[in-house]
Amino acid sequence: MSENITRRAVLKNLAAIAGGILAMPAARTCKAGVQNVLASSNAPAGYDPFQHKWLMAFDVDRCIGCGLCVEACCEENAVPEGHWRTWIERYVIKKPEAGSGKTRGETVVDSPDGGKEGFPRLLIPKEEILKSFFVPKMCNLCEHSPCTQVCPVGATFDAPDGAVLVDKSYCIGCGFCIQACPYGCRFLNPETHTADKCSLCYHRITRGLKPACVEICPSQARIFGDLKNPAPGLENDPLQQFIAKNKVEELKPSLGTGPRLAYAGLDEVVR
Amino acid sequence: MPRLLKMPPQIVRLVLLTIGILCVYFTARFFLTPPSFGLHGHYRFDALHDMASREPYWAGKAACVECHTDHAAKLAKGEHKTLSCETCHGPGRAHVEDWAVKLPKLNMSLCVRCHEASPSRPQWLHQINVHDHYTGNLCTECHVPHQPNEVP
Repeated sequence: MSENITRRAVLKNLAAIAGGILAMPAARTCKAGVQNVLASSNAPAGYDPFQHKWLMAFDVDRCIGCGLCVEACCEENAVPEGHWRTWIERYVIKKPEAGSGKTRGETVVDSPDGGKEGFPRLLIPKEEILKSFFVPKMCNLCEHSPCTQVCPVGATFDAPDGAVLVDKSYCIGCGFCIQACPYGCRFLNPETHTADKCSLCYHRITRGLKPACVEICPSQARIFGDLKNPAPGLENDPLQQFIAKNKVEELKPSLGTGPRLAYAGLDEVVR
Repeated sequence: MPRLLKMPPQIVRLVLLTIGILCVYFTARFFLTPPSFGLHGHYRFDALHDMASREPYWAGKAACVECHTDHAAKLAKGEHKTLSCETCHGPGRAHVEDWAVKLPKLNMSLCVRCHEASPSRPQWLHQINVHDHYTGNLCTECHVPHQPNEVP
């Protein structure tokens, strides 16, 4: 085999390699051209996701169950009827039966239309109620989010600023992430046929506005802040103050998803 | 090379077909993968900008306060200081962009939505049983929404 190598063959091969190297920039230019046609981005400049870390906290004792946050979210994000990116749950814990030796009775939870129109009058008589309260729910902004791990196409991801987002143009609507979320925070949008969820109002927070639910909440039950850019002097930052002053906990910490939403004033029945 | 040629023709065809398919796949992937995919993880980084480019719906309290400083100052003194303007007055973006667009008049159902008594509501909130409390139409006959502790 080796005695067959001719000068001509060697030159031919060298020419082919040189041609290949020269073709690379041409291919790159060509690729850039193709991608310019495919690209859809018209980004507002000036926001660096690596310079922020967003977090939401909830003061359960401040929630009055008006449902205005749910309504605000649905309007801000054009959430289809019957789906919610955030919702309010009403917990009613009944008194234990006399002589049962228990601390509490049955727990009843309801969330009519996600609490969007407020809550109807309780049907359980007041004398039977041990305690009752509202709990706002939304995406838990998990540190090790199970929803992003199961996505087969890289359409949902943990953004560097703490938001867990869905790339609508990449999502194939398989629904794996909806099943993976242990908090039930995702749904399949019947209009776009893609997975949908709380985006932390990404178009608002990147413009320096608060998320719609936080903006509209009348009782400051939702506290939103940037952990990387607290208000000067930490003690002025509402989020840092809230976490410093309250005993906060996460939902379902045992699952190892690393939920980041901080709740103060939770009862043990809340999951 | 001669060894390869000695392979049965159906195997050679299979190998060539596989190489062909792989070439098409890698060429397509080279051209079709968005430039920002994989930049900071297994996702399209430009998706962040796509999401950010949407226009907000609620204007935010800061936009209202720019002009209505008098109302804002009044509100800040009373118990309703935690409320955003749009909590009661509704979305105000259209009004911010064009002052000729007026926001709708408010009605009593809005007050009741928060202040109707319920055993689920926290103790600190002022609550009323609407039907025992008042039978008229206007809460504002007795209350000033911007300064709830004042009497009109």
